[in-house]
Amino acid sequence: MRLYEFEGKELFKKFKIPIPESRLVRSADEVVAAIDEIKAPVVLKSQVLTGGRGKAGGIKTAESAEEARTLAEDLFKLTIKGYPVESLLVEPKLDIKNEYYVGVTIDRANYTLVVIASGEGGVDIEETAEKHPAKIIKQPLAVEEELYTFDALAIAKQIGIPATLIKQGAAIIVSLYNMFKKYDAKLVEINPLVLTESNLLLAADSRVSLDDDAVFRHPELKEMGIEMRHEEGEMTPRERQATEWGIPYLDLDGDIGMFPGGAGFGIMGNDFIHYYGGRPANFMDSGGGPTPERLAKMLVLLDENPSVKAIFGARFGGISRCDDFAKGVVMFLKDHGLSKPMVMRMTGNMWQEGVRIFEEAKQASPELFKNVEFHGIETPIEEISKRAVELAKINAATPQ
Amino acid sequence: MAILVDKHSRVMVQGITGGAGKFHTERMLAYGTNIVGGTSPGKGGHEVSGKPVFDTVTECVESTGADVSVIFLPARFVKEAAIEAIRAGIKFLVIVPEHIPIHDMLHVRREAVNHGATVIGGNTPGIITPGEANLGIMPDIAFAPGRVGTVSRSGSITYYVADTLTRSGYGETTCVGLGGDPVLGSTFNEILWKFEEDEKTKAVVMCGEIGGVYEEKATEIIPKMKTPVLAIIGGIYAPPGKRMGHAGAIVEGRMGTAKEKLDALTASGAHPCKTFTDIPETLKRLRM
Repeated sequence: MRLYEFEGKELFKKFKIPIPESRLVRSADEVVAAIDEIKAPVVLKSQVLTGGRGKAGGIKTAESAEEARTLAEDLFKLTIKGYPVESLLVEPKLDIKNEYYVGVTIDRANYTLVVIASGEGGVDIEETAEKHPAKIIKQPLAVEEELYTFDALAIAKQIGIPATLIKQGAAIIVSLYNMFKKYDAKLVEINPLVLTESNLLLAADSRVSLDDDAVFRHPELKEMGIEMRHEEGEMTPRERQATEWGIPYLDLDGDIGMFPGGAGFGIMGNDFIHYYGGRPANFMDSGGGPTPERLAKMLVLLDENPSVKAIFGARFGGISRCDDFAKGVVMFLKDHGLSKPMVMRMTGNMWQEGVRIFEEAKQASPELFKNVEFHGIETPIEEISKRAVELAKINAATPQ
Repeated sequence: MAILVDKHSRVMVQGITGGAGKFHTERMLAYGTNIVGGTSPGKGGHEVSGKPVFDTVTECVESTGADVSVIFLPARFVKEAAIEAIRAGIKFLVIVPEHIPIHDMLHVRREAVNHGATVIGGNTPGIITPGEANLGIMPDIAFAPGRVGTVSRSGSITYYVADTLTRSGYGETTCVGLGGDPVLGSTFNEILWKFEEDEKTKAVVMCGEIGGVYEEKATEIIPKMKTPVLAIIGGIYAPPGKRMGHAGAIVEGRMGTAKEKLDALTASGAHPCKTFTDIPETLKRLRM
């Protein structure tokens, strides 16, 4: 879960990491009011949950209140990588003498936390890391370890923080590390950590990403107004619908509706469709042990999508049960109805019961099944993929 | 021979009285897995499927000689349960639940390394040595005893690959689910090396997917292996994913797309496969 810059800075404040004076505003009028308190020149920073906002024109400097109003009006019309700008952070323009980079993250391959620092902060830090790795300091720490001040002092010195300020610099690094651990973060970054002409160290920007799976441990975040959210841009109406139903779903640009089991085959099934010359219309994940209701809703999403020309279904039941899968499909066929051809394969946990449910439903109402081709373990999934591509081509070529 | 579990493994279940715990204990027993007992604090003295329930892992280990544990508990209790098991002497641990907090898994991994234990999961379908032991949630139908090992990040892919191996007559020695969570108890490397040391395993299929760093890491070990490794990676055509900020890129380098992973694995000596049917064809080409 990614936090907005202003939320990250709220956490910085709690950990006594110095930040510039700032006001969060949601309209051009509020910008002018903020400038009464924070004197111009100011910086207006779009609050969006994506990187590269500076390069996208989302950060502006204003010399006066009038100029700030005009710039803010434009910023509020801006959409950055799918994220509309709904709020701005107003901060005094800093006289920058130097910019550093300080961050903490997880090295998943080596199972450690890592403190990262550089004397060359700013937007091009990744390029620096790639081209001049020597300019980046990395200190790995086991998850239960403390970051001691003496280590942080050494880091502050190495990245070139002036001698008179290394104690403050070290304190900032230690606080950032403690904050990372306290909030179950995946990433915390100060980029840049600014040294001003008047010799202050300030966290000019924040980037904080927390572990969704650990948010339950931090009810205080909710009190701070930080709500659970997903790291994604603007959703299509269908994606929004799927999200409301709790189904991980992405629209793609093809014409084969993908109704897979878990995420693993959800991803690979899309590759298979490509290998056989087709294009998937979506990515979807049923989650482990889905209910029949949920499975029926997954099919509704596909059937109602006009770009979908054929539906590809696959279930290899592990924790998910084939009887539930069959019930979900039958529920969909009865309550909603299938308007396009569908080919599917079902095997695994409780497959005999699944087959029985299909057979019974088909005997009772054969017309519901006229567009369904059903296979079991005897047909390889590759054949099902090929057939889905074929069905989509036939259907697309048939005049409606 | 097999890796990690066989018919002699003495398996316990943490969370044996819960819904999923009970259901899968029954299934595992039906397969012939040597389940010796389980734990559920406060329910010591009860029985599930005729197997004794204990309050703590230490009691269970002392009474039953359990050396392997399968965890069926809500994610938030996994850290404690795993550390309890490792400290009680369990040498192999299977964490089935998903969404384990990442920092918790880092703690579990430290504990495992310090005690010489192996952990798979979270979010693993489990591990199966066909004909001997089935731990976790995998459907029996896909598997048959044989000579190829598999290691995968996804449950469904494990089933498809095993099904393909079974039907082409190769069968499997052991199939290991690494798990789908972002930080896992084991990496491909450790499991690949266990297969390398297993005499009966004549080839290994590793199934990766887009994202993360574990596949790239395997390129360090594949060149050292005599056992051939076949690699299949999901997400070759996936739309570009979200990135995890600068620090992630600095630590992990260029985040692996599926294509980059497959290319790197191929360069390190693995045999790339696109679809499941490519697997038996590749094995045939390797004169197996």
